[in-house]
Amino acid sequence: MKRALAGRRDRTYTLCLLPSLVVLAVVTLAPTVYLVATSLTPLDLTRPATALDFSQPSGNYALLLHDDRFWNSVWVQAKLSAGTVAFQLVGGLALGLLLAVRSGFVEACRTLFLIPMVLPPIVVAIMWKVLYTPDISPVHSALAALGLPIPALITHPDWALPAIVIADVWEWLPFTALMVLAALKMMPEEALEAARIDGAAGWQVLRHVVLPYLRPALLVAGLFRLIDSVKAFPLIYILTDGGPGTVTEVTNYYAFRQAFNFSYLGFSSAITLALVAAVFLLSWWLVRVVGARGDVE
Amino acid sequence: MTCMPLHRPRGSTRRMFLKTSAAAVGLGLVAARAPAVLGQAKEFKGVTLNGACFQHAYTNVLKEFLKEFEEKTGMRVNFETPAFPVYNQRADLDLSTRGSAWDFLNITFIYSGRWIGAGWMSSLEEFLSDRNATPPDWDAGDFVSGAQASLTDAKGTRYGFAWEAGAMIMAASRYDLIEKAGMKMPETFDQLRQVCAAVDGKDGVKAFVNDNLHHWHWPPYLMGWGGKVFANPPENLTPALDSREAVESAEYYANLLRQYSPSGALSYTMDQGALAQRTGRANLRTQAIAWLAPLATAPDSTVKTTVRFAYMPRGPAGAFPGSVSHGFGIPVGAKNKRAAWEFIKWALSKEMVRRAALEKGYIAVCRKSVIDDPQYRKNMTLNGQDLAALYLRVLEESGRLGYMKYRVVPVYPQVGDKMHKAIERIVTNQQPAREAMAQAQREAVLELKKAGIKIDA
Amino acid sequence: MALLAAVVLFPFLWLLQMSVKPTADINVFPPRLLFTPTGAHYRALWEGAFPVSLWNSTVVSATTTLLALCVGVPAAFALSRARFRHEGAIAFWILATRMAPPIAFTLPYFLIYRHLDLLDTRLGLVVIYLTFNLSLVIWMMRSFFDATPRSLDEAAWIDGASVWQGFVRVTLPLATPGITATAILCFLFSWNDFFFALILTRTRAITAPVAVVNFLNYEGWEWGKIAAGSTLVLLPVLVFSLLVRKYLVGGLTAGAVRA
Repeated sequence: MKRALAGRRDRTYTLCLLPSLVVLAVVTLAPTVYLVATSLTPLDLTRPATALDFSQPSGNYALLLHDDRFWNSVWVQAKLSAGTVAFQLVGGLALGLLLAVRSGFVEACRTLFLIPMVLPPIVVAIMWKVLYTPDISPVHSALAALGLPIPALITHPDWALPAIVIADVWEWLPFTALMVLAALKMMPEEALEAARIDGAAGWQVLRHVVLPYLRPALLVAGLFRLIDSVKAFPLIYILTDGGPGTVTEVTNYYAFRQAFNFSYLGFSSAITLALVAAVFLLSWWLVRVVGARGDVE
Repeated sequence: MTCMPLHRPRGSTRRMFLKTSAAAVGLGLVAARAPAVLGQAKEFKGVTLNGACFQHAYTNVLKEFLKEFEEKTGMRVNFETPAFPVYNQRADLDLSTRGSAWDFLNITFIYSGRWIGAGWMSSLEEFLSDRNATPPDWDAGDFVSGAQASLTDAKGTRYGFAWEAGAMIMAASRYDLIEKAGMKMPETFDQLRQVCAAVDGKDGVKAFVNDNLHHWHWPPYLMGWGGKVFANPPENLTPALDSREAVESAEYYANLLRQYSPSGALSYTMDQGALAQRTGRANLRTQAIAWLAPLATAPDSTVKTTVRFAYMPRGPAGAFPGSVSHGFGIPVGAKNKRAAWEFIKWALSKEMVRRAALEKGYIAVCRKSVIDDPQYRKNMTLNGQDLAALYLRVLEESGRLGYMKYRVVPVYPQVGDKMHKAIERIVTNQQPAREAMAQAQREAVLELKKAGIKIDA
Repeated sequence: MALLAAVVLFPFLWLLQMSVKPTADINVFPPRLLFTPTGAHYRALWEGAFPVSLWNSTVVSATTTLLALCVGVPAAFALSRARFRHEGAIAFWILATRMAPPIAFTLPYFLIYRHLDLLDTRLGLVVIYLTFNLSLVIWMMRSFFDATPRSLDEAAWIDGASVWQGFVRVTLPLATPGITATAILCFLFSWNDFFFALILTRTRAITAPVAVVNFLNYEGWEWGKIAAGSTLVLLPVLVFSLLVRKYLVGGLTAGAVRA
């Protein structure tokens, strides 16, 4: 009797889960299979016959290996990711520690600091476009008035990428700060007390007690930002269009351009699969880290 | 649309008329063709027409008069005019799926080979041969043949009608500064460089400016140097971007932007470039006439009395001012093709083109009957200069020498992108011209391979 | 701290003031700080096609949220209560869906939609938004269900209720705050999307973020309209996200991390 009941319960649970698995399979697995298949064809929408041409399945990948612009985009991506993640971790740590102070005023500020993170990314990009366009930028005119005119950053080969990093850090700093804040909240008071009783100075406490404690949280936050940095799109689309030259053309953007400006969908699928593979590896690492911490499962 | 009481009586008769005309069309189907006048206009009542073009002086004119068209036909027209690159990307994307988002689209010059070649645009011959769809006095033969070339395929099938015949000329917004330096309008590349060096920064005015459509601006310099984009378009599309002429002209043009243009000019849109000239922040520019004529006519122009126009300067191989044409066409997937044709007919009717030219000062018109009108010539005499003559000379030369063929091959958008990026790299000193052009050549070759096009080894 | 907040929020505030600045004052160089506010940009938006895009955004975001909840909430409950074979693999799959770059879905959807006639339709967007919303619902709701005591389910069973009845009558009501938070997050992420809508819509199903970008015209930068449009897009986001600020991190990490 009991076993029959348990069996019925299990069946109900399975029935609860099943629709989601079916929907997920349809909306994610099927397209992924399609993507892989497309990457094996030279599909070019100006020549519809290419859709079913599997005569040279590795053709796109062979082209990719010799495509300077692809490798350049990987390098740009690496620089962008390193820059944004590093600054967001350092800045997020600082902001998180600042916001951890208990006072009504700081609490109110916490909410304000959330704003950049929740804004639609395209609106963030437009805001920075205003600031980076010398003709209408209050920053440019203020600096010019102070006698410190600066060149237009988004068309400057050395500054275009940092300009995007600045905007991205602005947008996502609250995220890492929030994660730091959450970890700090769970930090045992005793450890701090003990360190203080031993006569450690403020920065020593920070270095030897707080930082080691925050390390896993920072790692998780960093990994999340790293994975998201691979998807960078609106900022580049609005601010630089990948330029000047290809200084800010990340892999994601190159794939977009190949597919949706020139209709090379087969070639673009190959680039995209390379991206997916990279993201997959990072996610796997992330799951292991998070899993070890016990937050997942 | 307008539902004001005043219009009601007319509306109801219109509805009655609609009924009878619908019956007439029904009968017509059985018997023969519907009578010419009857079906006209009213059969489109209630149709919502979607169309798009990049924003331009001419589309501004059309938008201003759009209400008249809507009232006349009873249609509602959503006419979108985004920025040039945004428009091209979105139109290309929709056409590539044979989509039905738009009933009429602009056939952008550099995409004409691609879109028509891939069979993404509808032939207009059916409408043109049907006297009910196209009354003879609309006069399709009135369009300048050079402007129609990119909208017509090898067999002579017409896919669009031109609203702009763009012709590149040169304008100095502050000719007074050039005179003060004891010089004249530059006629050669060497003189252009000398003039830039002499007047740059004078009176706070940078000597040169242009916008970020480098693959449009640079080829005239390339050809002036004796270089080519492709070996022999359209038969042989082997790129020739790493030739000595290409390297030298690229360095020359890049230097104009690097040394003599306002900060940030590299990313200027066409309008930002125009604004820089109109407000007197930059002096010389080589661009299509539609962007330069307003220096003399725009209400907010601060350089009306000092502007001067001239023919494109020449290099060792001659002068090759760019010419383009943009025209309205109908996508194959369009849902309301007949209604779209009605719009195109209206937008490019003799009357509308004449109004654009004579009332709105739009210069780059494509109807011979308007160009030949003495009033047009008189209107286009700006600041004492006969702009119409300059304009016609460009059209004639580009037609006679046929040097614009490189721009309408199907793979031009991809190859143009490579040139564009190369110029940007040179201007920003990321690469010397030789390296940048060698890279552009390699990338262009790769693109052509992807497109399945045979090139010389 | 106040200074820092002011600096951080400067780009945001500058955009807001631009949306009520007369065009003549926007293009003035250097920028003018004092001006008579105008509603002209908003009025121009209202009279144009912009309201349609706002409506599209609303319909699409609401529909996809509802669908994701209907399908995902029971699944989250099941994952919270029962053990399944390959549970680790299922979990990783769901998380990987959240992590995948949007272009990986955009390419095949774009190609498939051509044949299904789903390009430029709201339905098409609703479906592709499920790719991220469903995994979000499952992860978020699972942690909410983990936090509701099992003993209550069991008490219901003893009273003769089936698993499903226990879930609907006991557990679900307890998880209402969680469902609200999850729904808001789903709505926000759908509302904020730019990339999918850029590729998959044209005119009929165009969403507000794409419509705003269309104002980046090349003859005359319509900065006033751009700023006003941006403000309209961001206002609901601002209001809603402040309501769920406690759950933001959970949402952004698809529930993999609780903060």
